[in-house]
Amino acid sequence: MLQLSVSNLLFTIINLVVFYLLLKKFLIKPVTNIMEKREKMIADGLNNASAAQEEAAQMKQEYTAALAGAKEESVKIVEKAQTQAKAEYDRIVAEADEKAGSLLDSAKSNIQLEQEQTKKALQSEIAGLAMAAATKIVSEKTENQGNQGIYNQFLEEVGDAHEDPDND
Amino acid sequence: MKRKGGSNTESLTKNLLEELNVETVFTIPVFGGIDVSESVVVTWIIMAVVILLSIIFVRNLRVENPGKKQLVLESAIGWIQDFFVDVMGKENKRYVPYLITVILYLGISNIIGLFGFKPPTKDLNVTAALAIMSMFLIEYSGIHRNGLKHWVKHFAEPVPVVAPILILEIIIRPLSLCMRLFGNVLGAFVIMELLKLVAPVLIPIPFSFYFDIFDGFLQAYVFVFLTALFMNEEQE
Repeated sequence: MLQLSVSNLLFTIINLVVFYLLLKKFLIKPVTNIMEKREKMIADGLNNASAAQEEAAQMKQEYTAALAGAKEESVKIVEKAQTQAKAEYDRIVAEADEKAGSLLDSAKSNIQLEQEQTKKALQSEIAGLAMAAATKIVSEKTENQGNQGIYNQFLEEVGDAHEDPDND
Repeated sequence: MKRKGGSNTESLTKNLLEELNVETVFTIPVFGGIDVSESVVVTWIIMAVVILLSIIFVRNLRVENPGKKQLVLESAIGWIQDFFVDVMGKENKRYVPYLITVILYLGISNIIGLFGFKPPTKDLNVTAALAIMSMFLIEYSGIHRNGLKHWVKHFAEPVPVVAPILILEIIIRPLSLCMRLFGNVLGAFVIMELLKLVAPVLIPIPFSFYFDIFDGFLQAYVFVFLTALFMNEEQE
């Protein structure tokens, strides 16, 4: 009990040192390592999260700027399109106007020409008719009719012929 | 009657001495025979069991999704580590594993009587060995921290007259550690034996809780706490 023996003292010291080394290797080191790793992982995770948040905020800012730019641009494009469309519209209307005018003009001149031709044709026909009528009347009625009758007949014939071109 | 009482006392003394005596389990047949005492063998058993258990428990450690066993293990180790770091400061973390070893060994040793083994701490050789280790650790930590020169000089501070006392302290501190532990375990053991002799039924149970379990852990705690405290003191 109370006697000290050098051998057992030494054995106990050796036991303690060996126990210390074994415990350190098999119990304390692995557990501490795991705990440190977890701590590191948590710290990393927090860092990553804050970095991601920052990045997201930055991206949001970029997107907002891009969106504003796009809006502006779209307004510009619409304006441009509107002015272009207006110009095109004006141009087309002007062209149509012009075309219609020229068509009208040519139609007018055509009509005039035709009228003139018709007039000429009618004149010559009237002249022919008058001649024919005159010849007929003269040849048929010279003996049994007075001058009054000849005129009347002539006027009748000419009046019929004269009404036709008006209706035309 | 008188004679009977006398023989009772005699047999009790004999029994106690037999219980207290640390037997030699076997002798290594070299250098004229080296005795290996019971306490050393029990220490081997403790070591084997603890190392085996730690290998089993540590085998499946995971960083993520730790199991219940791992959480218990981690919180226990973390708690002990935090305790020592609180006492000694973060710069002395390197001594923590040794102190954990000692507190584990002492805690198990002091209550191993419940499992039918003789507590190794009842052997003066064991407590003396622990104290010697503590002594070296205490002085080493001082030298490591402040250098050999400072360590030699600090014996003469604040006045050179105290030098003999301070030099004595090197021995006294571990001696007090050693004797406190040994005396407590021995005293608890003797009281429990006497109590069991006087009242063998039921009554020893609460006392056993105190002397075998509470006192055992308390002494383990006191031993490592004082060692840590002395180391701290030595580093100033």
